[in-house]
Amino acid sequence: MKTEKSLDIFLIGVGGQGLLTIGEVIAEAALALDLPACFYPYKGMAQRGGLVKAQLRLGRSAVGPNIPPQGADLVIAMEVSEALRAVRVLRPGGEFLLFGERWLPTAVMLGKAAYPALEVVLEQVRAAEGRDIYLPPDTLPSGLPANLFVLGAAVGRTRLGDILPAIAVEEAIQRRWPRDPERNLAAFRAGCRNQE
Amino acid sequence: MSSRKLLTGNEALALGALHAGARVITGYPGTPSTGAIESLLAMEPPSVYVEWSTNEKVALEIAAGAAWAGQRALCTMKMSGLNVASDSLYSVAYSGVVGGLVIYVADDPGVSAGMCEQDSRGFALLADLPLLDPSSVAEAYQLTRLAFDLSEAVGTPVLVRLVTAIAHTSAPVEVGEPLPLPEREPQLLRDIARFTKAGAAICMQQHRDLIVRLEEAGRWLRQAGLNSLQIAEKNSHPRLGIIAGGVVNAYLEEGLEIATRWGLDPRSVSTLRVRAPHPFPSDEVRALLQQVDMVVVLEELEPHLERGVYVEAHRRGFPGRIVGKLDGTLERVGEYDVRHVVRGIAAALGFSIPPDLFAAETEAEQLAAPRPITVCPGCPHRGTFLAINRAIRRAGYRRDQVMVTGDIGCTILGMNPPFDTVWNEVAMGASIGLAQGYVHAGVKTPVIATIGDSTFFHAGIPALINAIQHAVPLTVIIMDNGWTAMTGMQVNPSTDEEFQPPGGRRVDIAQLVPALGVEHFFVVDPFDLDGTTAVIQQALALPGVKVILSRQECAIQAQRRGHRAGTVRVVPENCNLCKLCIMLTGCPAIDLGTEAVMIDSALCYGCGLCAQVCNRDALVRISE
Repeated sequence: MKTEKSLDIFLIGVGGQGLLTIGEVIAEAALALDLPACFYPYKGMAQRGGLVKAQLRLGRSAVGPNIPPQGADLVIAMEVSEALRAVRVLRPGGEFLLFGERWLPTAVMLGKAAYPALEVVLEQVRAAEGRDIYLPPDTLPSGLPANLFVLGAAVGRTRLGDILPAIAVEEAIQRRWPRDPERNLAAFRAGCRNQE
Repeated sequence: MSSRKLLTGNEALALGALHAGARVITGYPGTPSTGAIESLLAMEPPSVYVEWSTNEKVALEIAAGAAWAGQRALCTMKMSGLNVASDSLYSVAYSGVVGGLVIYVADDPGVSAGMCEQDSRGFALLADLPLLDPSSVAEAYQLTRLAFDLSEAVGTPVLVRLVTAIAHTSAPVEVGEPLPLPEREPQLLRDIARFTKAGAAICMQQHRDLIVRLEEAGRWLRQAGLNSLQIAEKNSHPRLGIIAGGVVNAYLEEGLEIATRWGLDPRSVSTLRVRAPHPFPSDEVRALLQQVDMVVVLEELEPHLERGVYVEAHRRGFPGRIVGKLDGTLERVGEYDVRHVVRGIAAALGFSIPPDLFAAETEAEQLAAPRPITVCPGCPHRGTFLAINRAIRRAGYRRDQVMVTGDIGCTILGMNPPFDTVWNEVAMGASIGLAQGYVHAGVKTPVIATIGDSTFFHAGIPALINAIQHAVPLTVIIMDNGWTAMTGMQVNPSTDEEFQPPGGRRVDIAQLVPALGVEHFFVVDPFDLDGTTAVIQQALALPGVKVILSRQECAIQAQRRGHRAGTVRVVPENCNLCKLCIMLTGCPAIDLGTEAVMIDSALCYGCGLCAQVCNRDALVRISE
């Protein structure tokens, strides 16, 4: 059953950004809180720079891995152009967190294909009745991993934080990197504090 | 004591096999099945033998041998792998097993990994084998354990099928204790009537026994209650029944919840959740049909269950409607989600779904920059593709005059820009056979076959032997990067001895090919563009079978060990931003600067191909 504690999250970005790690950390944190989690990653054949997406369904005990179109309560996008592929998944009124990194495909560098402007992406989110939350890449403190920073912003600024307190995520980070959690914790906390 | 763990479907299945006492576990990598053996290799379970085999047929034969010797064995593969293994699968099915034999096959509805969207449940039908189709990650664990019990109770191999949405998904699983199975001594059973196909009488008796075993499996599964029938608590008119197979069961609750918007009371719906579709659960379906006026059948891919429902409905004189694929309501293509449940219910009850429900705009998607998949920075295949393209032109042909057949794995990425080298893709090892067909068809220009190392060992060798035996003029380029890379870096016979299992040996393609009698055999370094181009150009002009071994380790793997082929520096004053390096190599490590190109030192492996295509000395490679 859909409850107040249920949240459907769609993640999108490119290979090499550590996007799937965000989903795994959320799922681990949810498990520790006894909150049902179903995490379905898709990486196709991408190693680096290829499309990566994932679906994370929290709070329902019996749920299929795929979120229907217009079904996601929250989209976390880590690449400006790829974010456009997630607009159709967003529920009207849902939150759309966009980290503004740009990975230019070869055809764009050669001038053979267009790359969408940030404003175009945000307009599309608004046209889908989404609430956009933009995270400029230069707000990432240097030397810290972007993925944990974005996760921090998701916990600090979206409904995810209502069902998954920051402390639960920090504990999940510590369990995942038991020897050296500090860098990831710092990135996560910087993300939580970000109010840009 | 059970514990709750977050596992992928692959990990859950592997753990289920381990806890059921599997002693021999074999397989060949293939998305989405790879994670099962990967997780077992990482666990290094004591006194369990785990291996990546040369191909799925070999893997199945090893597992069957172990099961005939009385041990429990698991064999894993993707659906294409079951095609390869199927020859032995049927024979083993007819013979039956002594120890439990479970064959895990992963289907890929929605095609996450570029292969045929085939429905492996059809193999169960062809081979008369029981098949389990878990509907969740947790069930992948439970049903795999159960599959071993079924296998031994009946003496039959059992297929367990996962789809990508279960194999790759992580979800909490209640993990039980391992079965306290005593160590089994291997047995040597001599039983010609059972373990050979010597003569019609034996084979036909085996066929009769096979059918009896399948019926027994049906009874066993009924008793185990795997296919759960839930009759409606409340009466309604008309009475609706839903039959769902495998992963689609996971969407029922959500679908019924949405259907309450049209006044449907979920308690007025009877459901049959099918987790064991073969043998067909006739009794349960009959029991459902007696209670309902119409039935919706929900399953991904082919209408396997649905056809069985029609048969049962005909036998019982069921007068109601059957909604599914055969009446055109639902598709046979792609993954299912809650939309399909809602559409099925709506079609049966005559609800009209509001057009805006699920109908999201796709305009935004069309504005996204296209992002074709390409090879990684430092990938040795990049050098081979560039050299093939150059050699064709230097030999005096246009690119569209020379057929370059392709194969499975990372080598197929040569089909994409900027290379556009490879023309086709069929199955493991097929490039060499296809190429011979083009020659016999009368193609007068050179024909080139490209294939990776693991693919060559898997199924390329018989095709090469065929070409040698029949003296077919052909250039075979084996792109040997030492790993089964596309599926995430598994060991294969070509992998360096250092990474082979303890005591294991590397099989050197450079020794194997000349031993087959190939006269024109060359070894090249794909990072040496001129040298590789010259050898390919030379080979295209030679008669008979030519084999070129293009050899360099996969850069991803080498980089994980801290290795780099060199360092590439930009000489900014020489760069005029002509972008030739980007255009030809498409390397993700090259970025556009304002004055000159830039090299992303975190991505660059130092292969130096960009420096070799630059005609202004703006990029310089320093060897390490």
